[in-house]
Amino acid sequence: MTATITRVPVRGEVRESLRDFLYLESLALDEHRFSDWLAMFADDAHYEIPVRVNREKLAEWELSPNGRIFSDTKETLDLRVRRLETDFAWAEQPPSRTRHYVTNVLAFETDLANEFLVRSNCLVYRSRGSDAEATWYSAQRRDRIRRDGDGWLFVHRWAALDQAMINARNMSIFV
Amino acid sequence: MTQTTLGVDALLDRARTSIPAGRVPIRIFNDQEIFEREQRNVFGKAWCFLAHTSEIPKPGDYVVRSIANNSIIVARDEHGDVRANLNMCRHRGNQMCKSEMGNASHFRCSYHGWVYKNSGELVGVPYFQEGYETKLNRQEWSLINVRTDQYGGLIFGTLDPDAPSLEEYLGGFQFYLDMYLKQSPGGSEVFAPPEHWTAKVNWKICTENFTGDGYHTAVTHQFAVELGYFPSSGSTHYQGWAVNIPGKGHGIGLGHTPGLAPFAGFPDDLVTTIGRSLTPEQMEVFSKTRTAVGSVFPNLSFLIQPFSVKPGEAGVRFCTMRLWHPVGPDQIEMWSWCLVPVDATDEYKQAAYDAYTLAFGQAGTFEQDDFENWTNVTRQAGSSLARDADFPYLMGLDGKVLDDWPGPGEAVSPYVTDRNFRNQWATWLSYMLDEV
Repeated sequence: MTATITRVPVRGEVRESLRDFLYLESLALDEHRFSDWLAMFADDAHYEIPVRVNREKLAEWELSPNGRIFSDTKETLDLRVRRLETDFAWAEQPPSRTRHYVTNVLAFETDLANEFLVRSNCLVYRSRGSDAEATWYSAQRRDRIRRDGDGWLFVHRWAALDQAMINARNMSIFV
Repeated sequence: MTQTTLGVDALLDRARTSIPAGRVPIRIFNDQEIFEREQRNVFGKAWCFLAHTSEIPKPGDYVVRSIANNSIIVARDEHGDVRANLNMCRHRGNQMCKSEMGNASHFRCSYHGWVYKNSGELVGVPYFQEGYETKLNRQEWSLINVRTDQYGGLIFGTLDPDAPSLEEYLGGFQFYLDMYLKQSPGGSEVFAPPEHWTAKVNWKICTENFTGDGYHTAVTHQFAVELGYFPSSGSTHYQGWAVNIPGKGHGIGLGHTPGLAPFAGFPDDLVTTIGRSLTPEQMEVFSKTRTAVGSVFPNLSFLIQPFSVKPGEAGVRFCTMRLWHPVGPDQIEMWSWCLVPVDATDEYKQAAYDAYTLAFGQAGTFEQDDFENWTNVTRQAGSSLARDADFPYLMGLDGKVLDDWPGPGEAVSPYVTDRNFRNQWATWLSYMLDEV
């Protein structure tokens, strides 16, 4: 992780194009275009949200090495999307209004010429039903993004939520 | 504002006759007075789940858990014994452990520096000679101990020093718990730390659902039936058995799919060895069970069932254990674990865990819909117009208890019935009335 921070981030057109890719992803999610969103993932993609455990500063880990809130492949993401497209995904019926705010985007080269590591912060606002109270999810993201012709594909979405005790009845949205 | 016609005492008194007759007061699912009495009478008396032994395998390992409003350190001491103590310094009440888990031989308070062994014994007091002179007897000021007992890797605690033994409390339900706890001859273990989240839900709605609510599956989880991800259909889903332990509140639903292979979803080597740690009677029951969804009263639940991302295939059999910890009349802290067979390969354990996260856990496609409904049930159950009304628990009221059932408790068929719930709420009532 330290190595990443001291490395010089990618600048110019590549950086802008990767940032746009993240923004387009947010737009697809917030407009509930889940099939469009799924098409932004490579066939070998992984989508992971680790379980966070509240621990002392010197503990070996705080994000569980094997505990996951999401541990998805493209196949299981496809299942989730097809579920949302039925009339019976009650957790999202009526759908949550979400807004993904993506900031602090930094892109780094990797050992593969056509793949970049893109770090970002993501704040998701979620409003459900007629509840006056909204849910906020704050996450740190570390994505692996691959060149695909003129565009990009997610190879790995890794998002770590900042809360150890998550203040939401479910995670029926994507971060 | 609608006036309540019944006080809590009168409501509970009326429930003595109404629950066995199949009527449960709506108000018990969202009411401040009921909640306060539950904290004292139910969670102050019952055996409550704390941790699984595989979460604290080595001396010094600890986790921090709760019973009612008590934060409790559950630690394995230097002798290998499990010890549970209130997470509060005896000197001025500061919280001892601020992390959820870790390993420590001693705990040191961050206020005035009192030091305790992980067993709870006070061993270090700053200015012991100079300040206290000889007035402080360290043995008198250990952390406040919580009585514990174990079954099959489950560590339970009770706040009631006079509570009956855990064995008596479980009352034969151990027979069914083994389906989750003895998934292989070497037993079961926790795969990863639990997920936890908060929800505006009353704990009883969750416990009841996991005491065998086969009725909700095809509707709440209709997407799964629709897309072919559920190994039973709307037309066969009622099949199976419901078993409860009368007077204890524990119950389990055993869903059966005709033609499904015994232990479908387990790897072959596990299917051939699983019988080693089970009785023939358990094998008879478990081998014909597709889904087993059960609860230990008051708030610990389990589910085991096969799940495949390819409709029609057996997939893997995942198992979840969950604790619905009440923190208010309309709020829980939810703890969710995945239990895997100790003797399975790492690949199988990972596959079972992945199936668990896809189906249950906070992002689980089944869990999501349950919590949406339960949040709404909780809110509506607080409606002033509903305060003196009941819910019908009339299914299976005339059901005949099977006389050739191989396991303990009272078993009925089909799986879709309110029988387990009537027993659960009648037991709850006896705690609430202090008649246990």
